[in-house]
Amino acid sequence: MATTTAAVTLTSDLLSDNMSVSASTTCMKAGTTADGLDQMEYGYLDLPTGDEYDLIATTPTATKASKLYLKNHSTDETYYIAVTQNAQAIGKLYGGDWMFIPADFHDAAGDIAITASGGTNKICYALFHEGTVLVTT
Amino acid sequence: MATTATISISSDIASGFGGISETMTLTQAGNLVDIDSTTGFQIRKLSADSVVDLVTMANELVEPKDSVAAKIYIRNIGYKGVIDKSVGVTIGVNAEPIGKLYGGDWMVMPLTCIDADDITATPATDDTVVIEYVMFYEEA
Repeated sequence: MATTTAAVTLTSDLLSDNMSVSASTTCMKAGTTADGLDQMEYGYLDLPTGDEYDLIATTPTATKASKLYLKNHSTDETYYIAVTQNAQAIGKLYGGDWMFIPADFHDAAGDIAITASGGTNKICYALFHEGTVLVTT
Repeated sequence: MATTATISISSDIASGFGGISETMTLTQAGNLVDIDSTTGFQIRKLSADSVVDLVTMANELVEPKDSVAAKIYIRNIGYKGVIDKSVGVTIGVNAEPIGKLYGGDWMVMPLTCIDADDITATPATDDTVVIEYVMFYEEA
């Protein structure tokens, strides 16, 4: 079984006592406890301003599991990328920000789209998924 | 200290993939000032397969600023020590499903904090499941 593990540690001093949360998960195929995600895409791109782009061109179905990591590697903190899913705004990743979500590519319109602001943003992404087949030319 | 989030991903799907390890400091939009507000760490027990608001933006006591640099952490922690990775809870924004958190799964994502963009949770079954979450945002 392929094994993909994602861990996070959150710390904050916004509360009266410091908060620290750690979590780890093994990314499994949908509805199973014994078989891990076995496909992935990994890339590092320049994202120019002016247009919205689909980050993920393929469309796994709703019955499949996916995990998407996306980081804005821009070093200018005023630069950001706006992230949408199926035209619904999710939020903005400023330079240095990352996100990790269980992306639900539930239909053909459910792709993750991104738009750069401030200048050309540099992004890194990784999609861990299952069940994608190539499209014939 | 500030508010930080560190992610570590390892995978043997593709040989040669060296993994990912990145830390971000949660700052306000467009500058390096630390983010200044939080919902605090919360849990929500769900026992029905119907949609509920985890975060209702308009009801936050400290009003979040719209369309800036908010982030949320959410995790499906199962129930009473039992984590079922075969069923999940769909997390949504303004009725748009973002994805399903199976038992033990977590997510960190940016938010708009616009009033309409509430964070929702919809369990796949009526088996009891607990969601933990914390939102960090800028005060309006």
